[in-house]
Amino acid sequence: MRLLLSASLLGLVATSAAAADKTLTISVYGISQDAYKEALYTPFEAKCGCKLVVEMGNSSERLAKLEANKAKPVVDVIAYSDANALEAAGKDLIQPVDPAKLPNLADAYEFARDPVGGNMAVGYTFYGTSIVYDSDVIDGVGSWLDLFGDKLKGQVALPNVSTTQGPLALQMIETALGSDDPKFAKAIDLVADHRDDIVTFYEKGGQIPQLMQQGEIAASVIGRFGWANLLKTVPSARWATPKEGQSGGMNVLSIVKGAHDPDLAHQFIDYWLSAEVQQKLAEGQVDSPVNQKVTVSDEIAEGLTYGPEMATAIKFLPAKSMLENRDAWLEAWNAKVAQ
Amino acid sequence: MFQDRRLGLALLAPATLFIILGFLLPVAILLSGAFQTPTGWGISSFTEFFAKPLHREVFWRTFRLGLYVTAISAVIGYAVALSIVDASDKGKGRLIATLVLPLMISPVARTYAWVVILGKTGIVNQFLTGAGILDTPARILFSETAIFIGLIQLFFPLMVLPLISALENLPRDVVPAARMLGANWLQVFWKVILPLTREGLVVGGTLVFVGSLTAYVTPAILGGSKVLMLETLLYQRVSVANDFAAAGVIAIILIAMSIITNFVLKRLATARKGGK
Repeated sequence: MRLLLSASLLGLVATSAAAADKTLTISVYGISQDAYKEALYTPFEAKCGCKLVVEMGNSSERLAKLEANKAKPVVDVIAYSDANALEAAGKDLIQPVDPAKLPNLADAYEFARDPVGGNMAVGYTFYGTSIVYDSDVIDGVGSWLDLFGDKLKGQVALPNVSTTQGPLALQMIETALGSDDPKFAKAIDLVADHRDDIVTFYEKGGQIPQLMQQGEIAASVIGRFGWANLLKTVPSARWATPKEGQSGGMNVLSIVKGAHDPDLAHQFIDYWLSAEVQQKLAEGQVDSPVNQKVTVSDEIAEGLTYGPEMATAIKFLPAKSMLENRDAWLEAWNAKVAQ
Repeated sequence: MFQDRRLGLALLAPATLFIILGFLLPVAILLSGAFQTPTGWGISSFTEFFAKPLHREVFWRTFRLGLYVTAISAVIGYAVALSIVDASDKGKGRLIATLVLPLMISPVARTYAWVVILGKTGIVNQFLTGAGILDTPARILFSETAIFIGLIQLFFPLMVLPLISALENLPRDVVPAARMLGANWLQVFWKVILPLTREGLVVGGTLVFVGSLTAYVTPAILGGSKVLMLETLLYQRVSVANDFAAAGVIAIILIAMSIITNFVLKRLATARKGGK
């Protein structure tokens, strides 16, 4: 009897140890973590009976860590930009996802299903990047070239090339100049010619509301995720729809090569893509949904990149182009604009 | 104090160990990155760094602004220090408290205040356009002028405080004596006050110059990426380009500039003393 009891006790200990052993380590951007915890992490832990370990930081830092731990991976799932994913794939740091294990992927926009090729990543959120302007100062902005026109002279802040928005702005300026050169030579030349008319090349988008509120600038280029905040600070601000279109970017999820439990990793990614989670994150204005089943009110949509019309209008900068030309952009910018 | 010297050394050991392991060693590892080349060791990172026109310009701008800030702080600092030393005890206390007050406010808050003051709709531009001096508001933000103003305000007290203490140690009779012997005020300052207070000037000068070289928040907010300084360039190299070699080079340049400044200023002070 005693033997039986201790044997069953031992069994109990073993099962609880196994449950505690079932952990998934994710590496994410350090923003809005409270919202993610509520909408995603806690419900997932309850669902899978596992434990989530969350690592945070900016993407280049986390990518460097992934590379350093290549031989003995710590992280199972990583969230970063599409260009980061392509870089990680090139360095053999991630493994393909199996679309068959991600039933919710079918509800995602086409562009989010395999954004870097080879099923190396799936998009979980995206954003448009366009011109914002103060309607008290200027009637409207119809083209990306208006940023360099007389009306806005001395009243424009552009993103620095080192920011995520910088290359996206250059991409649209290059398009507006009628060129598809991935090196953005014409766009960089145009910015350099107007260098003295540009108020500043911002490094942090958070600066823009203050500068516009103070009357320092009348127009800038920002990602849609910063729009709600700008509108709150400057009610006369407007989101422009230039004739050349808008640019944009995407954040994606990948499974790290050598992940401890690939099935659990797939479960987690699928849950993140589910209408349920994407709905909650959209309502909190945390992430714009890639899941097409998500519906939100106009008021919430104002702070997001939402709806098929906006989504299909975005000219994403291909991750490949970002990776191949980044050094050339930086070099040309430093030589011509930063002087 | 201790009979046995070893006891004193033993007491010192934990702090020394902490400094070595927590500061000197990591700094040495970080800075050694600047001397690493693909094939071994060398100074190619330095030559590559200075080969770029942008880097040379940023270097000179940092040096030039540091020099201007130090020189202007010294000129105004002497005037302020002289009037504080000359004030009544009560007045002196109040003046010093006013001088030190900004040091107790975070540099970020102080610098953001400048963004508002120097902006297009700020009081400086309101005055300039209101008084008819300018037709349209001047662009002061995101320029060298803005950084210069921010740095002066940030480090000015560090110049005045050593000057006050140097002036207080000045023998009381030397100024009246020089005046009675026919020296004008300029001569009194140049030949009496300055030589006798130069140690205060060296301390203040070093603090202000080194502070200006290494300040990050002020150039980042008031200059932005359009007016890069060495410290903002360093941040950019690390955070954007992951280029630790260039960052190491910049760090070494900043450390070297600080040490050389201190050395040169000390030399200047003692040379004059020795020459007498």
